[in-house]
Amino acid sequence: MVNEAAQLYTIEGVGAAILMVVTAYLVISSTTIFTPQDTHISDMQLQQLGSDALAMMDIADAYNGKSTLQLAIEGNNSQMFLQSFSRLVNSTTTAYDDGLKFNTMVYYRTDSSGIQPFKLCNNADYFRENAVTATRWVYITPPFDATLPFDNRDQVVLVEVLLWRN
Amino acid sequence: MMAFIISITIFFLALIVNESAIVGKTTSESVLEFPKADIQDLRNELLYLIEKNKINDPDILFDIQSISMSRKGAIVNYAYDGNRLLIHYNDGITEYNEVYIGT
Repeated sequence: MVNEAAQLYTIEGVGAAILMVVTAYLVISSTTIFTPQDTHISDMQLQQLGSDALAMMDIADAYNGKSTLQLAIEGNNSQMFLQSFSRLVNSTTTAYDDGLKFNTMVYYRTDSSGIQPFKLCNNADYFRENAVTATRWVYITPPFDATLPFDNRDQVVLVEVLLWRN
Repeated sequence: MMAFIISITIFFLALIVNESAIVGKTTSESVLEFPKADIQDLRNELLYLIEKNKINDPDILFDIQSISMSRKGAIVNYAYDGNRLLIHYNDGITEYNEVYIGT
């Protein structure tokens, strides 16, 4: 029997079906769920960038030569460190540089007073932003610059760079 | 019947969304915790010291051990007998041992 009494049933059924299919689609399509713990991903990328930049600076240009990092530490040359690290870390493929900031400390051991920090180079003040550290061992040999507090012997120091994005 | 199946599916998807928070935490934590950069850097430095013929210097051994303990909380030990380099690294979570032949 065909009459108009079933039209409301049909419309209700079609409406409910559309509602359920749209809901299912929304749930399935939202696959990139960014949880609060995923902030580690950007931290890890920043740390890898800093580590790679330090690794590049620690390669000598010629066999038996000294690397940029070694020269910057031995001569207490904070400009040399700042320019090459900043260029490595802040270069982008567009015309605008990135805005990463860093503080650098060198940790060395002395016979008289144990492990000491030495400030090498800052390009900005640190005010508790979310930062990561990248480190590198550097082998340095005397003669050192007169302003440096290192013992007068061949030694290995640790360069720690605190890196953050504004 | 279809509505019943779809409602079960939606419930299952909601369960997945709920558990994704826990999964995200443990996988990203394990990436951050593993000291890949530390171990690679230490190996690189020790192999460089072998080239410079400074690997048996006891001062340098003290430097690396004490700075590693005080700044990274990791125990480092190494030895070189002319042929093989033995490296030991332990930061409390990850332990790494290596025998490097071929220097």
